[in-house]
Formats: sequence, structure tokens, C-alpha cells
Amino acid sequence: MTFLGSVKANPATGSIPDENYARELMQLFTIGLYQLDMDGTPVMSGGNPVSTYTQTDVSQGAQVWTGYTFANTDNTTPDRMQLPMAINAAQHETGATSFLGISIPAGTSGATARAAALDGLFNHPNVPPFVSKQLIQHLVTSNPSPAYVGRVAAVFADNGSGARGDMKSVIRAILTDSEARDDTQVTSSSFGKLREPVTRLVQWARAFNVTSPTKLWPFGNVASSANRIGESPGHAPSVFNWFRPGYTPPGTTIASDGRVAPEFQITNEPSMIAYINYLQSVIVNGAGEAKADYSSLTAIGSDSQALLDELNLVLAAGQISAVTIAQMKTALDTISATTSAGLNSRIYAALVLVMASPEYLVLR
Amino acid sequence: MPSDLSRRAFLKRASALSLAGAATPFVMNLAAMGEAAAATATDYKALVCVFLYGGNDYANTLVPYDNTQYGIYQAQRPGLAYAQSALTATALTPSVPLPNGAQYALAPELAKLLPLFNAGNLAVLLNAGTLVQPTTKAQYQAKSVSLPPKLLSHNDQQSYWQASSPEGAASGWGGRIGDLLQSGNGTATLTCINATGNAAFLTGQAAVQYSVTPAGPIALNARNSLQGSTAAASLLQSLISGGGTHEFEAALGSIGARALDLYSQVSAALGQAPATATVFPTAADPQSSLGAQLQLVAKLISVSSQLGAKRQVFFVSTGRYDTHAGLVTLHPTLLANLADALRAFYDTTAELGVASQVTTFTGSDFGRALTANNDGTDHGWGSMHFVLGGAVRGGRYYGINPTLANGGPDDIGQGRLIPTLSVDQYAATLASWFGVPNSDLATVVPNIGNYAGSALGTNVGFV
Repeated sequence: MTFLGSVKANPATGSIPDENYARELMQLFTIGLYQLDMDGTPVMSGGNPVSTYTQTDVSQGAQVWTGYTFANTDNTTPDRMQLPMAINAAQHETGATSFLGISIPAGTSGATARAAALDGLFNHPNVPPFVSKQLIQHLVTSNPSPAYVGRVAAVFADNGSGARGDMKSVIRAILTDSEARDDTQVTSSSFGKLREPVTRLVQWARAFNVTSPTKLWPFGNVASSANRIGESPGHAPSVFNWFRPGYTPPGTTIASDGRVAPEFQITNEPSMIAYINYLQSVIVNGAGEAKADYSSLTAIGSDSQALLDELNLVLAAGQISAVTIAQMKTALDTISATTSAGLNSRIYAALVLVMASPEYLVLR
Repeated sequence: MPSDLSRRAFLKRASALSLAGAATPFVMNLAAMGEAAAATATDYKALVCVFLYGGNDYANTLVPYDNTQYGIYQAQRPGLAYAQSALTATALTPSVPLPNGAQYALAPELAKLLPLFNAGNLAVLLNAGTLVQPTTKAQYQAKSVSLPPKLLSHNDQQSYWQASSPEGAASGWGGRIGDLLQSGNGTATLTCINATGNAAFLTGQAAVQYSVTPAGPIALNARNSLQGSTAAASLLQSLISGGGTHEFEAALGSIGARALDLYSQVSAALGQAPATATVFPTAADPQSSLGAQLQLVAKLISVSSQLGAKRQVFFVSTGRYDTHAGLVTLHPTLLANLADALRAFYDTTAELGVASQVTTFTGSDFGRALTANNDGTDHGWGSMHFVLGGAVRGGRYYGINPTLANGGPDDIGQGRLIPTLSVDQYAATLASWFGVPNSDLATVVPNIGNYAGSALGTNVGFV
């Protein structure tokens, strides 16, 4: 995002305010491109979806985001990058502006204009379904029913005590919804989502108490799809992040059935193989000083069935089938666990097999 | 799968079947069909899409150079404009001049492309972009024609450019070309190859994208042994290439199976790639692997006979073109990186003797505004593009030169151009060269019929 350094219009040169943040704030972070009903389905008119905003709204909104600069002129300290930005009043556009029904009078200060713009967007009717649906997609299933979206959006709009956007209530509504809790979904052929690579890595780290004594967590950038996991926090290629909520993998029944699978946007031949190769390494070695503690597994690893049952429970919520577990047990039993090294090998192999397994990768 | 495509595919298979003979079981013949068809083909062609993610700034790429146009350009972006004198060395002298004395220069950082233009191997497309049908400004303003949905939005216009559909597209036109021609290839899954992740562009109804890294396919480290166990290694490969009752598991299995099945074949073929003398320069943009991607594509082309490939569609890309800020610092670097990669790629194909069998073309989300913000430009629509290759009828412009203005007849404000050359016409022209019959063009780009009888027709003629 480029509103750092964005300046007001300059009549002498004809330059206009940078539209980047004004546009993406609306498209990606708050309301999206089309007007939505509370259940997340687009509002239609004459067979076409109705846009939420026009190019004029973008241009008018861009005025609000002018004048931003660093709060500190000392570029030798981390403070400069960490402090909230400041507004340089001389570069802030103070002419009257109006967009999406939000009117900001001439002469309004940057901070007041910002608050008015954000409050106006926050109260736009699209925000509850737009945000709720994407949260459900990240937490539970790529293709929630409109009714599920509607139930969560209603909680977003009003938590029962008149508060809009109470995220604790929203997340509780997502995780405790009947559609999320329904046991029959476990055997559905389409409900659920692909776990994204970063959550797999973090899940492994949390399950086995990975620690970093120096607190540097030297995993580095794990974005490479040639030798890491193809995704890394803080390294998204653009403000559109790693994958889009509307992505569907072309050439699959997911696409032909009209469903989406966002995480497949970063899933391909190299990223799949690189993930497994990296798993093999990180499970055994950790990353630098950040090591796993497998004591919970070494205690049971001589019994392959017990080891797999534990991993199935802790990592896969019991969703790996008995058939697959039996195949894994047969393979693991070829690794003798009579020595400490053998026991470790069996544990490492078990972790790779479980975390590479499609029944683990697809969360239902 | 649409019934017409199924029927065509069936007819192709049936015809291959008769070539392969009728003594073997039907399934065996289906498997042999690809080989049979490949054996009868005698030529090779490749299409290479170079996608510039972020929306390339057209006015600082193909820079207005004659005094009239330059004056407008300079006035709309005084802080961003190249000096007119800096453009003399890269001014274009086309074989067919533009009306009204209009002239352009390549940005100085694209100088390496000038010899290709002068030799007739590079064509410049004017004001190309996404459309549903020919569209005038009056029609745009009155909303009296269908427009591409979600104009000015990155993800959707990338998708519309590649697939004629916004985010969520189920197939792209590169893949749909692959659908029609992959039966000629020994290994159908090597028809549509992506050196840069995933793109809707490369998957059709039957054709699927095969993705590799700029260094080629990568090996599964545990292919022979997992923690000393061959049984565990074997199970691992079975798991990642297996099916599954859930459709997401099935989709994962297809990807895993391709990765495992093609690794040996592709890496072995790449090992036989002939050495080439052309040097791909170190990336001017350190965040771009475009040169490495194109170098890999050249290598794959050089071993196309080992891979049994007769028609291949490649996709490569590079990013950071969303130059809302810092344009004068960043954009020249991006262009230098692009020119280095394109020139080295062309030279390599010439060295391999296949320059006239490879056509390379640029795409991007959209063009940008002509009018500057403080230090960059904002989202636009129509843009300028390049097509290069030995088969290209280059050394000239194709399309209609737009009136450069802020609020003129050809823009929707701030010089955001209304395209007059649609991506559909661009695609159909490339597909025709590639061997797609006219009767199948609507399978590749469904709206192509809307351009019959238009100013540029359904074949723009640049290749």
C-alpha cells in the first residue's frame, strides 16, 4: 500500500491523489466489489450484480489518505518503521469530498477525515457478510452455505447487546455454528478446506513445543515453492495476499461444480513436493536453534498404532481413516524402534506421513 | 466438458485409433493415441505468455515522441515523463507510419528490443485490453454494451485477461488452446507449462497446467527412502498421488501424481538440453526470476522432441508493476529486467534455430492512467503490448492509436484508455498462428464473434 507519502492534488502539475489505498481498503478490507445480502450472496439488478462503488468513489476517497508520512525523521532507528504514521497537514487534501454516502466537509483535519471514512465504511451493510464469509473460509470451510454466512453476519451486525463487529462473538458464532459442528460433514465430499501451509507449520510447532531460546525463531522466509512451504507470514506478494477467497482450481470437479478452494491458488507440483521435502528437514532438525520436543511421542513410539493414534488426534482431529492408519502402521513397523535412533526415525517418518497425507491436509 | 469439445476430442481419438490399428483393446489405443498423433506431426510451435503483474504503465513503456503527443504526455505527468531528448535513440521507425505524424519511442531501458523491432521480429500493439465487444466512449458512458466485470480491479482483470472471466475462472484461453492441440503431443500433460506458480490462463477443459520452478521440476527427497524405510517412501508417494473420497483430496492427488510422474521424464530431458551461448543477464530487478523462467522455457523447447511435444503453451511472469508510487525509480528497473529477459530469450530461440516457431507476447492486468499522482500512476484499462518472434510481422504497430488525453474521446478520465484492440482479438490471432482452425476460435475466446466486421476483425495480422 502506498499511502505513505501520498500528497494532495497539485493544480500546477495536474497530479491527483494516489488511489491505491482508497481502492483496496474498499475492495479487499471492508466491502468488496458487489453489494451483498446479509447471507453473502450478491444483490442483482437486471441479471447483473450491483457494484458497491465507482471510480469516482475511489478518486474522492483518495483525498482522505493524503498527507501521511513517517512520525519520526530519524531513519537510523526502528522507531521510524514502528510508530503509527503522522499526517503532514500541508500535504493533506482539505477540499470537500464525498464517497459512498460519506461526506467530509472542506477544511476537515486528516485525523477527523480518517475517522469519518473508516466509520462510514464500517457501517456499510456489506461489512458483516463480506468479513464473516471470509473468516468462515479461513476457519472452517471454503464453501459455507448462505444460511451459515447469514447467521454469522447477523452476529457481526449485532452481538445481541447492540455492538457491531464484536469479533469474539463473531468467532464464537463461526466455530459453534450447527454447520461447523455437524458430524456428518466429516464424511462429506466437499465440506471443509485445505489447510494453508503456514498453519500446518505452526500447528506442528505448537503441538511439539518448538521453542526458540533467543526468541529469534530462525525459520526465515519460508515462501519459496522450490525448497520451503510456498507461503510465509509478512511476505505476501501483494496486498491480495497468497490466495483469493474466490479462487477455484481450474480443471477440477471443484471448479466444474461451482465451488471454490482458495488455498489451492498456492498449491502446485513444486509447492507440494517442496513442502514435503521441507517437512522432512524441519521435523528432524527444526530451524537453527528452534527445535521440537518429541517427548510425548518417544514415550509411546515403540507402539506404532499408539503413535499414529496420537498424531491423528493431535494433528488431524481424528480425520485420518482407519484404512490409511493401517497402511501407515505397516510402513512404520519396518523401522525398528528398539534403539533410540530407530525410535526417533519412526517418529520422524510418522510425522511426515501424517502431515503429507491428504486426509490431514483437507480439514473437515 | 462442453459437448462440442467432447465430440471433437472423440473424433480426434477415433481418427488416431484407426492409425493405431484396431487389434488392441480400446483403452490401450487411447493410451497410444497421443504417440500416434505426435508421430504424424512434423512441426513444432510454442506460445509464451509473459505476464506483467500489477498493471504496466503504458505511457512510460511506449513513450509518445512526436511533438504533439509528447507535449500532452509531458503535461499530464511532468514529474514522471522521460525527457524528449532521452528518447531519440529508441524512437521507433515503423514500416507503416501512424496517422497524423504520431510517433513513439521505446523507453530507453527497452533499448535491447529495438534491434528486434528494426529486424521485423517485434510488433507493438496499441491500446489493447479486456473487452466483451467493441466499445466506444459513448457506449461506455451509457452502459449500452456489455463490459468486462470488475474493471480496474487487479485480481479480476488479471483473470479476465487470462480467462475471459473474473476471479474464480474455471479455464483460461491458453488452456483452451491446449485442449484443441494437446492430442498431438506425446505427453498431454506437457502441453501447458507454467514456470511461475499457478495461472488460470493455462488450464482448459481437458488440458491442465503443469507447474515447474525456474530450475525445472523438483525431486521428492524421500523418493527412495523415508527415514531408511523403502516401505514408508513408497507409502508417502502413494498417499500424495492417491485419490480420496473428498474432492479436495482428489485435486491434491492429481497434482501429486503429475509431480511424481513427470519428474523423471522432464528432468532427464532437461539434462539433454544443448548448451547455448546466449547469456541471460543477472536480473536487473532482484525480486524477479523472469530471466530464469524464460531460460527454462528455452531449455524445454530445445528438448521438445525428446518430450514428444509438438504444441506447447508456456506462462512466465514478473511482478511489481503496480506503480502507484516511486514510478521513476522502479519502473525503469522493471523494464530493463523485461528487455534483458525477452532479448536473451529471443536470441536463444534464434540460436536453437526455432525463432520462427516461438511467439512470445506480453500481458498485464491493465494499463494505467496517463495523469500522474504525486510520484506514480493509478489503475487504468487499455495498454500497449509487445509480440516477438521470428514469425511475427514486426517492425510496425497494430491497432488504433488512441488520443492521449485526460478526458478525451478514448479515455474514461485521467488517460485511462478504453481499449480498441481486445484481448480476444489478440488471443485469436495467436491461436490462428498456432494452428487453431477458425471454426474453433470461439472455443478459445467465446466472445470473438463480436469482433467480426470490426475495424481490426478477428485476426489482427501481427503473426
